[in-house]
Amino acid sequence: MNMASYGNAVFWHVQTGGMGIEMKTSLGSMEEMEYYAEKTGCKVEILGYGGLPAKFRRFRKRQALLYGSLCFGGILCLLSSFVWVVDVEGNERLSKEEILAVCKEMHLYPGAWKRNVDTDDVTKTLLESFSDISWVSVGMEGTDVTIRLTETIEKKEMVEKKTPTDIVASQGGIIEQVTAERGTPLVQPGDVVEKGDVLISSDVTIGLEGEEQQTVHIAAAGTVTAKIWAELSEELPLSYQEKKFDGRVKENHVLLFRDTEIDLIHPDGKTLWERKTITEKPVGLGDFHLPFSLRKERLRAYENQEKTRTEEQAKQQLENILQKKAEEYAGKNGTVENIEIEYDVFTDRVCAKGTAAISLPIGKEQEKGFDAANESDGTKHANGE
Amino acid sequence: MGVGKEVVKKLDLPKEIVLDMPLISLVGREEISVENHKGLLEYSEEKIRIGTKAGSLCIHGTGMILEQMTADCIVAKGSISGLEYLS
Repeated sequence: MNMASYGNAVFWHVQTGGMGIEMKTSLGSMEEMEYYAEKTGCKVEILGYGGLPAKFRRFRKRQALLYGSLCFGGILCLLSSFVWVVDVEGNERLSKEEILAVCKEMHLYPGAWKRNVDTDDVTKTLLESFSDISWVSVGMEGTDVTIRLTETIEKKEMVEKKTPTDIVASQGGIIEQVTAERGTPLVQPGDVVEKGDVLISSDVTIGLEGEEQQTVHIAAAGTVTAKIWAELSEELPLSYQEKKFDGRVKENHVLLFRDTEIDLIHPDGKTLWERKTITEKPVGLGDFHLPFSLRKERLRAYENQEKTRTEEQAKQQLENILQKKAEEYAGKNGTVENIEIEYDVFTDRVCAKGTAAISLPIGKEQEKGFDAANESDGTKHANGE
Repeated sequence: MGVGKEVVKKLDLPKEIVLDMPLISLVGREEISVENHKGLLEYSEEKIRIGTKAGSLCIHGTGMILEQMTADCIVAKGSISGLEYLS
């Protein structure tokens, strides 16, 4: 072994085996190894061949495998000449669809011939098309194109304080609280208002009583909270179906091509299966992705069981549903005060009709009419006239 | 101290190159590589003895295999339990 190593013969993975020593060597060093073995009185025995050349030699008579491999290589080369994935990163205000639409005009889209895509041109066009983009880079890695961009700082919306604006009721109700930041409040707690009534007026009178007064029109601001009543309804059948899992779990693999799904392992068609996606990965080698995805999903076998609920259970569930609906209606700023529910019980279902009392802000800004706006410079009139 | 060693020390030169000393690297207790060796003296699964200019280096362990052997470097793998210089 020392002689072989000094003679630059390549060998590795030396270990004791049987009565001698086993090692691996390259075909090129085989002759040298045999020479050194003979010189030192050792006997060489070839235990086997490994590596790519040996595998090729073993499979050289299998022509189908050879042609299959060549076809696979050819198809891989062909498919890797296309762009299969176009991804956009860094967009917040601009939608991905808008950006991809511009890219499509520049011949960049999933399925485009890679040679037809000029990433510099796409970069330039994107910068010209969107004023909101301050920096963009179009990178092509394998069959994926990633558009990374940075948007400009968003311009803050300027609120036009000079435009005369009233606060009007967005819906009818009983006023509970009025907080006027700007403008003249026209309603007070306890007043009944209809949709469209002015709650805080943009007209403000300036000047002391008894003296000449001036009315100016401003942009009113404030919060007006009112109690409103919302009509809600829902119904539940007394019999329904429920999934009962029998414990059988299977893994399924689905090949996806665009919107087409190819089920590789068809589950038993008679049984009902609940599907849950575990992973979904594009098929390819390294950065070269093919236009296919492989989805791994878990299937759980179940049977639909007929179940019934009692009248009381249905009423309880309906109450919960109406409560949720009322909370959704109230939104973040409103509160549900109470719900009055009436039930109609039929042979197969229970219907619930409810009226929810909700306290919520009803004021919304509404620009004053054009004529009023023209008078915003001030209309002089004397008090008591 | 020899003149060579003094020069190496003063000039801060790598000893393993100038003085042809063995450079031994251990990865945990699983792998050892010995550079600048003078040949393999003994090999078994429990003991590997390597000749170096600093003396005969004996590696004790179990399941030892020679992962690589060239004129410059020997890499051994296994469960190493001890290293010993035999003068």
